[in-house]
Amino acid sequence: MSERIVVVGFGPVAARLVDELLPAVRSGLVQLLVVGQEAEAAYNRVMVAELGVGRTTAEALAMADATDLVADGVEVRLGVTVKRIDRARQQVVLSDGTTPSYDRLVFATGSRPVIPNLTGINPDPSHPVLPLGVTALRDLRDAAQLRDAVVAGKRVIVLGGGVLGLETALAATEEGALTTVVHNGSFPLGRNIDRGGGAVLAASLRNSGITMVGNARSTAVEHNGPDGMFSALVLNDGSRIEGDLLVLSCGVRPRIELAEGCGLPAATGILVDHHLRTYHEPHMFAIGDCAEVRCADVECPECRTAPGPSGLVGPGWRQAEWLAEYLILLAEGGQDAADTLAPLPQEKPGVVVLKARGINLAVAGDNSAEPWDDELLCVGVAEGRPRRQVAQWADPEHGRYVKMTTRGGALEGLVTVGMPRTAAELVMLFERGSELPADRSLLLRLDGPDQLDSAGANNDPQRTVCRCAGVSGASIEEAVLDGCSSVPEVSKATRAGTGCGGCHGDIKGIIEKHFQGVAA
Amino acid sequence: MPNGANTHCPYCALQCAMTLTPAAPSAQPGSDPAPAAKVLPLLEVSGRDFPTNRGGLCRKGWTSASLLNHTGRVTEPMLKGSDGVHRPVTWDQALMLVTGAVKQTREQYGADAVGVFGGGGLTNEKAYQLGKFARLALGTSRIDYNGRFCMSSAAAAGNRAFGVDRGLPFPVEDLDSANAIFLLGSNVAETMPPFVQHLQGARDSGGLIVADPRRSATAAFTGDGGGIHLQPTPGTDLALLLGISHVVVHEGLADAEYLQSRTTGYPAIVRSLAAFWPERVQSITGVPATLIRETARRLADGARRGGSYILTGRGVEQHVDGTDTATAAINLSLLLGLPGSSRSGYGTLTGQGNGQGGREHGQKADQLPGYRKITDPAARAHVAKVWGVDESLIPGPGLPAVELLKSLGQPDGVRCLFVHGANVAVSAPDASTVIEGLRSLDFLVVCDFFMSETALEADLVLPVTQWAEEEGTLTNLEGRVLRRRKALTPPPGVRSELWLMARLAESLDAPSTFSDDPETVFEELRLASAGGLADYSGIDYAMLDRGEAAYWPYPTGSSGTPRLFLDGFAHAGGRAVMVPVAPQKRSQRSAVVGSDPDPLTLVTGRLLEHYQSGAQTRRVAELAAAQPEALLQMHPATAVVRNISDGDFVRVSNQRGEVLCRVELSNSIRTDTVFLPFHFPGLGSANRLTEAVTDPISGMPEFKASTVWVRKAALPEVEPALAVPAAAGPSMHVKEAS
Repeated sequence: MSERIVVVGFGPVAARLVDELLPAVRSGLVQLLVVGQEAEAAYNRVMVAELGVGRTTAEALAMADATDLVADGVEVRLGVTVKRIDRARQQVVLSDGTTPSYDRLVFATGSRPVIPNLTGINPDPSHPVLPLGVTALRDLRDAAQLRDAVVAGKRVIVLGGGVLGLETALAATEEGALTTVVHNGSFPLGRNIDRGGGAVLAASLRNSGITMVGNARSTAVEHNGPDGMFSALVLNDGSRIEGDLLVLSCGVRPRIELAEGCGLPAATGILVDHHLRTYHEPHMFAIGDCAEVRCADVECPECRTAPGPSGLVGPGWRQAEWLAEYLILLAEGGQDAADTLAPLPQEKPGVVVLKARGINLAVAGDNSAEPWDDELLCVGVAEGRPRRQVAQWADPEHGRYVKMTTRGGALEGLVTVGMPRTAAELVMLFERGSELPADRSLLLRLDGPDQLDSAGANNDPQRTVCRCAGVSGASIEEAVLDGCSSVPEVSKATRAGTGCGGCHGDIKGIIEKHFQGVAA
Repeated sequence: MPNGANTHCPYCALQCAMTLTPAAPSAQPGSDPAPAAKVLPLLEVSGRDFPTNRGGLCRKGWTSASLLNHTGRVTEPMLKGSDGVHRPVTWDQALMLVTGAVKQTREQYGADAVGVFGGGGLTNEKAYQLGKFARLALGTSRIDYNGRFCMSSAAAAGNRAFGVDRGLPFPVEDLDSANAIFLLGSNVAETMPPFVQHLQGARDSGGLIVADPRRSATAAFTGDGGGIHLQPTPGTDLALLLGISHVVVHEGLADAEYLQSRTTGYPAIVRSLAAFWPERVQSITGVPATLIRETARRLADGARRGGSYILTGRGVEQHVDGTDTATAAINLSLLLGLPGSSRSGYGTLTGQGNGQGGREHGQKADQLPGYRKITDPAARAHVAKVWGVDESLIPGPGLPAVELLKSLGQPDGVRCLFVHGANVAVSAPDASTVIEGLRSLDFLVVCDFFMSETALEADLVLPVTQWAEEEGTLTNLEGRVLRRRKALTPPPGVRSELWLMARLAESLDAPSTFSDDPETVFEELRLASAGGLADYSGIDYAMLDRGEAAYWPYPTGSSGTPRLFLDGFAHAGGRAVMVPVAPQKRSQRSAVVGSDPDPLTLVTGRLLEHYQSGAQTRRVAELAAAQPEALLQMHPATAVVRNISDGDFVRVSNQRGEVLCRVELSNSIRTDTVFLPFHFPGLGSANRLTEAVTDPISGMPEFKASTVWVRKAALPEVEPALAVPAAAGPSMHVKEAS
């Protein structure tokens, strides 16, 4: 008897899980039902803003194809919601009136945007009805709305200074919209970045043509446009920011109501253990944005400090890959076989890399420490482990900033603005937990012009001019002294220039230098 | 016989055209340091104008003649005595010993206990006859060759996508007019210098893009506006390619009409790429997202102005995911509409001299002549008919190289081995284990010109002809068949491998016929390849001698195929097949083991001065003087924390073994990576550290990403043994040069 697995939700994380389970579906080891609320199979939600500004197509965002999945034996129900879960009968009650049963169930319900409490917006968090001209930019239809505004070169207001808000604002500006970012706090990305990085970032955003409104509390939206369209955002100091489209980018919240509705414990997200199992129901799982890995053991050192759901897709994909392996082992050999799989390793803190063309920014980990903090200035170890250390580089004039927070040489936090190669290198070192070069300035120089060229001019006569044939400048000079006055003659006499030909210019230079000397 | 001939270089797959003429005394042009060889070369080498090298040669080619009369050359069969010393025997004795060993092994353990390990440097005639010899004269399925270490991943990917594998499916001069060329994992400036001429057009238009963890000599050509250098951390090329492809799809740079009419599988490719946006790929590879985008745009732009080419080399192929990485490169080229156009394309740069021909005519465990599958009943019937034997006499598929070497001396493994044109004691992964395997054999026969590290292990070493002493054909990296010509009579005790196979076939009472005449063998190869993918049936020596450019497939009555795929791909329906690929999950890649905190990634590769295991080039005084020993390339920042200075001796180690060598500091390498050339034996042998894990599809070993630890070492007690490659053997002449 093959096991029946039901996956609730069909976003990018569910798509990854389904992909990994496909071999087991094809072989008949498991039966798989995927229920998706949207009419489309999974697509890459991370890139909805890119779609909204016309930088990609809906077709290119697709991560699954329902027809192909059905051909492989997966049951796919799109445009269908799960109304509730009957744990006693092990059934899901669907909006299409059916009640399929499950042996194992996976919540991949993702998250929904946070809708701020503003006058003029229906605050019902689970069924927000947004006025015309206001969008939370979450799905393909929202993207179309942004597209229209960008194409028409309209005024776009982004409420929220988080990653997604900044990405949307930058992309919309670059594609022709007039954009304003409204955020609280004195600099954007306040949750992730430190003050120095935030200041350099804000300056860079302004230089890109974005109007930045900081330390702002918004209270209401006005919709005095045609057909009651959005027309302005009102702040608590009474000022109004006029615009044609308001993009709400105030974060996301895990969708936990289905799990809660059937009595499963949840905090910010659905609580799961290190095997992604929900509390009390080891045959129910949660992955991705809706899941919060925090086991029931109060002593567990990992869970004591674990942050809530990250809202990033990377950890969700790793959970999907791990869970697929676990589910296949369960189906093949039962619990004993599944127990041979090591629990899911703890996630490192997430890395934020701004998906933007004009501005390069990467942030990861904890960046709260400053280089002159008392704790940092003492050398040696504290509480049995090396102290935290900070190295910093700030060049606001050129929009460049780097901060590296390390412990024992490995990164615990990083901020880079305006330094693409440094960012690329640091992010990789952070993800791998590798030790940084002791001379941290080496990492700053990756973006320097001196890195881009090979050995410069060298007048050492013993220097090899022709690498292919291994001929030195001295030998070529000797040949010229012996009467060679052209590159072919030098080549014939010394073999220099007879390989790739890359040194012909150098040989010519030596010949010319000689004859100049003779003439003078 | 007239001494002198128009032929091609003995080394790499570019097969530079050269003319060999009898050397006038002391007519050699001086190159520095002036070789102080006591023995003057018999032949003078000069570059010959030809489309591939345009008269150019590299240092290896210029000095190649010095090996013909090298005093260390093996000129008589050498039998190893019970004291471990090799002593001359007559050919009659040698043939009797081999025949006896084969017969005894077969009687005691069965025919599959006799194995053959071939090489990508053998002529087409030898490679073809070696495959036939193994199957009919020895009766074994156990034949494979060192090309498994080179071309197998690209070959598997090419076959999967295009239905056929020809390294470059276009003449190399086509590259001259390219606007953009993307080279991945290939350092042509060192490995085939004259090839660099063909990159000039792309450099002039700022379109040379090189992906290499090192700022190699080739990567340096991207400086001064020549193009872009992408420096991914080792083992992440696949993700890099997916990131570039992602940009192509998402920014609308793909050639929609081409994808529609000439490929299948596009929708699945799009879905497989959705998760690889540039910023995510940046986190995996260390390559900035901006450069990933720029590369995609540059390639798409180049395709519209003059053409774009994507070329892969061993750097991206010699991995456990090598086939998938090559597939990702092919998918990118298909998205851009490059393959099968007369101005754009995808290709892989074949490495060994006859790496192309050597993989077509039956030297591979799974293959029969003409690039036929040994499991295909029609292919078997065709070849059996040409050979005049019953089809049942042809054994089934054998074991790929790494598995074959692992089986040496094992129960049910190979107990008697023939090695032709290969130096596995240096070139195979996990070389120490391979050497143990060689020592556990009942009988090892090695055909070589020198006492290579593998020959030193042999019970019997048989001296064979060098390139300038024989006739034959090779197929260069473009799939063009070239004539190798005789310029010199070999030393009296030296025989050709064709002669050897013919004699042994006779003494083993083999069915069919075995000729010692290259042209006769080629005529049979033509028939055997007819109708196969690599069809040579329309090619003959006379045509090649007239200078005709013969590219396979060349069926009788045709005029050959300089450019493949112009009308369609070799799959049924004529479409290229796009196969989605993805990086392996982290848990499946070989994990870092041990508690030592600061591992580095070891990349292995080549130097300009040396070729393959160095068995030949380490014996050329001029080359050995320039690069006498293995040097570990390391970034100064990586060195300083380990208290290592330039020139220090270091111990490079992992669970498989250790290498002792000197360090060369260079800021052209990433701080997490070290580089070691693989041309050296003994304590400096890079392959003591590589792992014998292989690509599941191609059998290619992981050469390019091994975890190692590097520590400063005390000066070894036997320093001379390092400075002079331990290869020495009975006649070590490298030292004269230094």
